Amino acid sequence: MLRAAAVVERLGIPTASIISSAFLKQAEVVKQGLGVPLAIGVYPGVPMLDSEEELRRKVEEVLAPGLLKGLTGDAPKEADKNSEAEPLPGTVVFSGSLQEVQEYFHRQLWTDGLPILPPTRERVAEFLAYTDRKPEEVLRAIPQEGREASILSIAINGVMAGCRPEYMPILIAVIEAMVDPVFRIEDCGSTPGWEPVVIVNGPIVKELAFNFGQGMMRFGRQANTSIGRFVRMYLRNICGFRIPPGAGDKGSIGQSYLVAMAEDEDSAKAIGWPTYAQDQGFADDENVVTVRSVISSTGPMYSGGTRAVDHVQLWVELMCQSFTYWAYTGFKTGVWNPLIVAGPGVARVIASEWSKDEVRRYLHANIKVNAKQVTHYARVASTPTFSLERYVAEGILPPEYTAASDPERLVNAIIKPEMIGILVAGDPGRNQSRAYLCNHIQGAPVSKAVRLPQNWRQLRQRAAH
Amino acid sequence: MTSPHAGTKEPRYDVLWPLSRKAVKATAAAPRLPDLNGKTVCELWDVIFRGETIYPLVREYIKARFPRVKFVEYSQFGNFHGAREHEVIATLPAKLRAHGADAAIVGIGA
Repeated sequence: MLRAAAVVERLGIPTASIISSAFLKQAEVVKQGLGVPLAIGVYPGVPMLDSEEELRRKVEEVLAPGLLKGLTGDAPKEADKNSEAEPLPGTVVFSGSLQEVQEYFHRQLWTDGLPILPPTRERVAEFLAYTDRKPEEVLRAIPQEGREASILSIAINGVMAGCRPEYMPILIAVIEAMVDPVFRIEDCGSTPGWEPVVIVNGPIVKELAFNFGQGMMRFGRQANTSIGRFVRMYLRNICGFRIPPGAGDKGSIGQSYLVAMAEDEDSAKAIGWPTYAQDQGFADDENVVTVRSVISSTGPMYSGGTRAVDHVQLWVELMCQSFTYWAYTGFKTGVWNPLIVAGPGVARVIASEWSKDEVRRYLHANIKVNAKQVTHYARVASTPTFSLERYVAEGILPPEYTAASDPERLVNAIIKPEMIGILVAGDPGRNQSRAYLCNHIQGAPVSKAVRLPQNWRQLRQRAAH
Repeated sequence: MTSPHAGTKEPRYDVLWPLSRKAVKATAAAPRLPDLNGKTVCELWDVIFRGETIYPLVREYIKARFPRVKFVEYSQFGNFHGAREHEVIATLPAKLRAHGADAAIVGIGA
């Protein structure tokens, strides 16, 4: 929201922004990242919880006077006070024992609460050897602190997260995906508390020993676990998404980092389905990373039977139970991307009758939500003016959403079949699948090719000895 | 890693700064307007958190103190957050100019 205010202020037009009191700390972080001093009028408390009388009183006594002062009083002066005092990239900032390093990093809010590996110059150089790109190369300056997403910063945080040097090409692709404007990295600290998940495809899955089978989403395999940890470490250190005593991450309850997923490509190919990366337009032999948000997941979806519909109908039922509360967020934004991790055995039964597109069409046609109920959820969460009619009128939703006028009508929770992702992975010895839901436009799926260094083979051979 | 601590065999680690440079171009705030009479205040709203109730109350409060202030309501600018965010923000400068904006109220972050 303050980003819009900064755009206006840069035009030479004074602004005053409405912020509720619980968001003031985050607002300070965002303002510093924007580099524009912004005036703020404070709404005390939570507007969605106040009576009409209470709201009026707070506006008249606190908010409106604050806004008026912001427009008519002294210009706000607070710029970024700290950046000039910061070290240069690549500077040694501390020397100490392993324990002293941990304590120092904890005090600086540079860790996630777990011990880190010390990012020494030597260890960072080992990571940088696995890319042809220069350490000072900047992918983009990213919200919310406005810091540079540099190759060096990726290597340092990769070391800290416990990654291996050979993961570096994947780490770079992960950050390339996350700094893509489609991903909306600026929203990683929003109150729903979504978490990015990395999906890895291609020959590199086996080469780097990713777990795509039983227990694929557990901590325990270094590639999956440390790359998942790296994502959260990077969001914390480079973007500035920190929970208290820091600021910037406003996930109300939140969730913790997710290990990276990888696809069981042999199983996918054996049943004649394209891989997840091929669905995104990549070639069969390309190494690809996708990053997408997870706001919630289903429970384990155990399905049985010899027909495709036996399994996909059960997915419909469980995805209805787990996800449809959140459908209004897709209706507001026009984007709502579920991902199904299909167990290899289940996928084999389905693929004997249906293509992936047929699965998508069935899910799209059958996962329904009650229009009155979804409107209620939207109105109490954040948007008292929510109506399906408005989003159809604005062209965000297709006309089918208002084709009938019965408030109790059922409408499709998934806006388009192509928004559904399908990945084959998990325990081949069990009939279980699971679905994961993106947080509408926040963390929408972005895929990037992994660029290996020219001497990748030599580096790998050297590491093997 | 460097040499061990004096008197111990525990290694020392010289660690690099884990953050990165801020690429922020600092801009000064726009000059304020001590008198809003005769001025145009534009409203920008992200269509959440009861702005439909809050903005009219703010309007009322400011008009009581500056009777000749003019407001351009949020409906003129579109939702600057969400599905059309980039498109709406890109059109803001032209729309603000067209409405003769002297100031803006932006909300709501909650």
